[in-house]
Amino acid sequence: MGNLSIELFGRTLKNPVMNASGTLGYGKEIEPLWGVKTLGAYVTKGLSLKPHHGNPTPRVWEEKQGMVNSIGLQNIGIERFFKEYFPFFKQKKTPIIINFFGFTEEEYIECARCIKPDKYILALEMNLSCPNIKRGGMSFGKEENTVYNIVRHVKAVTKIPLIAKLTPEVKNIVGIAGSAYEAGIDGLTLLNTMPAAVVDIEGKSIPIKGGLSGPPLKPIALKAVHEVSKAIPVPVIGVGGIMNHTDAISFFMAGARAIQIGTATFVDPYTIPKTIKNIKKYLDRHGYSKIEDIIGIANG
Amino acid sequence: MDDIKGRILQNENIVSNYYLLRVKLSKSMGKVEQGQFIMLKVPSSQVFLRRPFSIYEYNKNILTIMYRVVGRGTEYLSKACINEEIFILGPLGKGFKIGKRGVYIIVAGGIGIAGLCSLAKRLKEKALIFYGCSSEGEIALLRDIGVRNVNISTIDGSYGSKGDVVALLGKYLKLVRGKNIEIFACGPENMIKSLKKLIDKDKTPCQVLVEERMACGLGLCFGCVKRTFDKKEPYKRVCKEGPVFNLWEICL
Repeated sequence: MGNLSIELFGRTLKNPVMNASGTLGYGKEIEPLWGVKTLGAYVTKGLSLKPHHGNPTPRVWEEKQGMVNSIGLQNIGIERFFKEYFPFFKQKKTPIIINFFGFTEEEYIECARCIKPDKYILALEMNLSCPNIKRGGMSFGKEENTVYNIVRHVKAVTKIPLIAKLTPEVKNIVGIAGSAYEAGIDGLTLLNTMPAAVVDIEGKSIPIKGGLSGPPLKPIALKAVHEVSKAIPVPVIGVGGIMNHTDAISFFMAGARAIQIGTATFVDPYTIPKTIKNIKKYLDRHGYSKIEDIIGIANG
Repeated sequence: MDDIKGRILQNENIVSNYYLLRVKLSKSMGKVEQGQFIMLKVPSSQVFLRRPFSIYEYNKNILTIMYRVVGRGTEYLSKACINEEIFILGPLGKGFKIGKRGVYIIVAGGIGIAGLCSLAKRLKEKALIFYGCSSEGEIALLRDIGVRNVNISTIDGSYGSKGDVVALLGKYLKLVRGKNIEIFACGPENMIKSLKKLIDKDKTPCQVLVEERMACGLGLCFGCVKRTFDKKEPYKRVCKEGPVFNLWEICL
């Protein structure tokens, strides 16, 4: 029987499937359907030191086989998350990855500093796509030296394993990942949404600029996962356009140790449990005893 | 909550670009509150996300929605055939709260009637119904309520009073001043804005069913928000905290 459990940051996860940050609310919302216990780990909505109101509408726009979102990082802040939601994950015995962001390097550092290690906190995932207000709004994840500095400074204030979630909008993703590695990163999540815009030809306007997600991202993320996992010796978590187990298995074979499912949950909220079940079936059908056996096996 | 499979029993073009879709569900959706909605997977590979629709009627596993063709999703939905398979999540969101009142007033604009029809049927003669639309053709949307029970206005004056429905309501409100009134409204944003202006002085209790672009419908993505006067957390999710809001709590 195909064993789905994987080792990640010294812990054993019951399966390698997570939600992508911001696509499963604060976790409780999915309980009436299938519940966070199903996940290998729950990834929080992006949290910041102080609460953020987010953007005005429209915040979402359908594209052909994908969507553009501009939620604007609405969140209740780290403090309220720990008060109102963290006990729920402990009660459900579900490990969590805390996705966090800031608009300055100091905010990232403060965020990481205030989160205390806990049995149920698997890792911190820093969202490096956030605009740096001290650098004209350019995202932290675009330049190798910016990535190096921010990772090094954040790493210095926390004992919790640190993951960097990278933006696809870079010249050389392996170079960016390498800088994060030199600065001491423990894992990489590849990739965030792709910056995009929509034009309304009737209104002659741009109703939304935001992040493109969904199936168009899959081949881009697969290339990044493949190249980075070959070059950098830390676990890679693959994300981008995973709609089913076939897509998920592609990511494992490209070198991902775990995967995240985001937009697909909006199309079918049962995508995550279905994918977990079907990965297992795939392993059984092909005679693999464990998921570990297919990680990184695709070469080319 | 399951993703319920259904089969299309009817997808009727009522008038111009308005349709009535009736679906036989393979199992019960459970209890439905007036004002709640469903997320429907349009049976076409051209439509990526689900679409939210007010529950027009629900009875014994038969779900009915009334919709207007406004974009790609509804365009493809209008082409769906009888017997085609369709997936539905619901009932979702928070519906209308019906307290004890002397007079209930329902105000609908255009396709807004789709979200208020079941409430009108529940309140029956206890509610006064006001309906506004652009012209005579859309009177056909009142098929299940019956035109005789409705105060109607059309913008072009081709049926009922000429002008907007809020002006018509204004005349009536003068007659019932001081009575214990509650208003239930759904319609274009301009209608809601002028309704707010009309009852601003009295701050008449009013619940509005609002519409917003949605992605998940389950409170997962924070895509479909409405701005409120809550200073701490101004943006509330239409799919979770709504789609029915207290008019006096939302920013228009």
